[in-house]
Amino acid sequence: MTKRIAALLLLAALVAVPSAWAEAGKTLTIYNWTDYMPQSVLDEFTAETGIKVIYSTYDSNEAMFTKLKLMGGKGYDIVVPSTYFLSLMREQGLLAEIDPKGLTNFANLDPEVLNKPFDPENRYSIPYMWGSTGLMVNTAQVAPGTVTSWADLKRPELAGRILMSSDLRDGLGVALKALGHSMNTRDEAEIKAAYEWLLELKPAVRMFTSDGAKQVFAGEEAVVGLIFNGDASQIREEMPELEYVYPREGAMLWMDNLCIPAGAQNKEGAMLFIDFLLRPEIAARIAEEFRYTTPNKAAQALLPEELRNDPIVSPRPEDLVNSEFQTGVGDALPVYEKYWEMLKVAGD
Amino acid sequence: MHDGALFRRICILGVAAWLLVFALAPNAGLLVVSFLTRHPEDFVAPGLTLEAYGRLMDPTFAAIFWESVRLAALATLVCLLAGYPFAYGIARASRRWRPWLLLLVVVPFWTNSLIRTYAVILILKSRGVLSNLLEALGLTSGPVSLLYTDTAMFIGFTYTLLPFMVLPLFAAIEKLDRNLLDAARDLGAGSLRAFWNVTLPLTMPGILAGSMLVFLPALGMFYIPELLGGGKSMLLGNFIKNQMLLARDWPLGAAASTVLTVALAVMIVLWRLATLRARQDEDDDILTEGAP
Amino acid sequence: MTRKLRALWMVLVFAFLYLPIVVVIVYSFNDATYSTAWRGFTWKWYERLAANGPLMDAALRTLFVAVVSATAATALGTLAALALNRYRFAGRKVLLGSILVLTVSPDIVMGISLLIFFVTLGASLGFGTLLVSHITLCLPFVTLTVLARLASFDENLVEAARDLGASEWRAFRHVILPLILPAVGAGWLLSFTLSMDDVLISFFVTGPSYEILPLKIYSMVRLGVKPDINALSAIMFTLTVACVLLAHAMTRTRRH
Repeated sequence: MTKRIAALLLLAALVAVPSAWAEAGKTLTIYNWTDYMPQSVLDEFTAETGIKVIYSTYDSNEAMFTKLKLMGGKGYDIVVPSTYFLSLMREQGLLAEIDPKGLTNFANLDPEVLNKPFDPENRYSIPYMWGSTGLMVNTAQVAPGTVTSWADLKRPELAGRILMSSDLRDGLGVALKALGHSMNTRDEAEIKAAYEWLLELKPAVRMFTSDGAKQVFAGEEAVVGLIFNGDASQIREEMPELEYVYPREGAMLWMDNLCIPAGAQNKEGAMLFIDFLLRPEIAARIAEEFRYTTPNKAAQALLPEELRNDPIVSPRPEDLVNSEFQTGVGDALPVYEKYWEMLKVAGD
Repeated sequence: MHDGALFRRICILGVAAWLLVFALAPNAGLLVVSFLTRHPEDFVAPGLTLEAYGRLMDPTFAAIFWESVRLAALATLVCLLAGYPFAYGIARASRRWRPWLLLLVVVPFWTNSLIRTYAVILILKSRGVLSNLLEALGLTSGPVSLLYTDTAMFIGFTYTLLPFMVLPLFAAIEKLDRNLLDAARDLGAGSLRAFWNVTLPLTMPGILAGSMLVFLPALGMFYIPELLGGGKSMLLGNFIKNQMLLARDWPLGAAASTVLTVALAVMIVLWRLATLRARQDEDDDILTEGAP
Repeated sequence: MTRKLRALWMVLVFAFLYLPIVVVIVYSFNDATYSTAWRGFTWKWYERLAANGPLMDAALRTLFVAVVSATAATALGTLAALALNRYRFAGRKVLLGSILVLTVSPDIVMGISLLIFFVTLGASLGFGTLLVSHITLCLPFVTLTVLARLASFDENLVEAARDLGASEWRAFRHVILPLILPAVGAGWLLSFTLSMDDVLISFFVTGPSYEILPLKIYSMVRLGVKPDINALSAIMFTLTVACVLLAHAMTRTRRH
């Protein structure tokens, strides 16, 4: 009996294999982080164009890249890689070319964030949102003004109360910046020096995490450490004593970019969608929700005043001195990985 | 007889086919990958080499391996100590209640484990549920935080893996013949001795199954060490995940995974030899003993 | 004395298991997005959840795939245990070995190798591929649990049944199955639990048309897990408890 039921269920399973692919032209499959695009924006796009949006999620650039690569660049119409994955995906032929002439709203974009080394002339990517990784300081626990640089993490009074990133590029990036090197260096000697810097810091680190930073600072388990600017802006609404600091040696910048995979089935739909997101009012709504920086100049003007004047969400040029965008490091990645493992293994 | 052979054949062939396709084939592939050349873009390139295994012969990997095994073994021990009396209690409850108690054990686990881990954080954090409770009871003065310690990590491991210990234990204990225990007592054995000489050996298959189902997943845990333990050390699960996704060094990831499998096989063989020596008359696998 | 201690221990363990769930439910009514302090009562997370159709869909899909894969894995896993325990055949050790290898395979490795397998076959990723993968994931858990129960199984019972003319299937159905039923039930519950919670394998083997809840939740960590997930967890928990109580009440009335 059990077996008969099992057989029936299996049969049902095989019959139920999705039929969504059949109507490829009418659907748009987006591959992105959960909730990284407001549902209302997606609904509006569907209402306007009749194209149904399927929103699929990943939890890291690495996982997204591996899956897309194994699927031969097929299965999705839009992906949103960060800067350090963009060049890799482009070089591997995973992305389709985008013609800016097909985008009526392309001119809204801030030229400052276009034509970057990870995608010269933006032939494969359109900026979606960008931001910085800087320092969060709990001013109720740490005297204001004492932490202004990455190097300040070594101040003795912070021992045991530091949040460090569990992402190796961010973690080693902090040390590289503190030592005055580029966070995208491929020089093993510099990476080794960064490892040694972190090894010295490790006993003072309370936890290595990148996923729960907001909760950690809200719960006051750490009083200083890394955070994304958007997270910082959101959490300050509930705890204004938490301050966001652009470190003197330079913040670590990242940008998420709208791309079309080479094997996308609905490239026209994808272009329509990108153009839709580039509308000033849409881009402003998105920026308002996530508190990251919009690359859309026209949208900047539409932001509520408190966000427009907030250096966390709208950084001034002086905030970004020495800052760099995180880019791929190619063959040096295993070197980073090696030193990161050594750091984790070292006892404290 | 004809009918019996048919059922038997369906049994064996069905299972064998499934395992061949979905277990043996992928693992054979994995074994092959571990001998191929690393290629950061296409994951692997042709060209047989022992390089990946060579790179595993390194103190860093040895430290990761040892630390993972140590933590997983401790977690298994904690689960066993907590789970045995608990499973025993369920198995000794009235027949009508047993299935419901079992259900009660697993129902909390149907809430996503990440969400439950965040809840554990709320309990263990300073000024959290536990901290406030201890302060109210006058056991501590001022807030305490258990977070980002090995204790917190073990609480997390136990909390995530306990049913994988309790359920196999329950299945083994439940069939235990009470008469045997009574007989032992009648012969003058104390409770402890009856337990040691009768209950424990008879429930050993359940202990083994449960330990395996806790120990192996514990090796692969990746977010509990970070969220509760503070992510200060790297465990095998994270190491392999990093090789496959982050460093894109598939041969190294595959080699680490293969080493893990071989280590398990060695453990099982050693265990078997030990039990064989203890019980000379036994001539079968520890896991399937009792077959004709 | 021991009885009382045991009862106390059971209560303590149950408290340990349920305390975090209580915390999740309480926080689903907390009027704070990130702060962990209590900031007043609110229904807003439930309202937000009601407006989040994709999240609810994902939850339903997760439940469905868990029920189907647990059932199939239990059937297959029980047969595997039976074959391993009762029959002698060529390749038996290989079969046992492959079940153990399956248990030890890291999820990430299993996910990637299954994806490569499906892509090679040209299968479209979705419910079917997800189901097959979950069955494979759960299979060893069922088999090991049932094997533990079958150990030192009294073969005379089956012999007796066979002597009385029962076929192998009937002997299984009427003699073996009732004896191993608690283990089969336990195996089903383990499988269901595993399937509900799997992330790494599911990420690789499912497609955009069949996204399940754990994937959505893991993907949320970058932007911060919001309390509407607590609300969803609270609803799912309440529903499962209601179902369990209802089933309990039904079996009781049937018995009376």
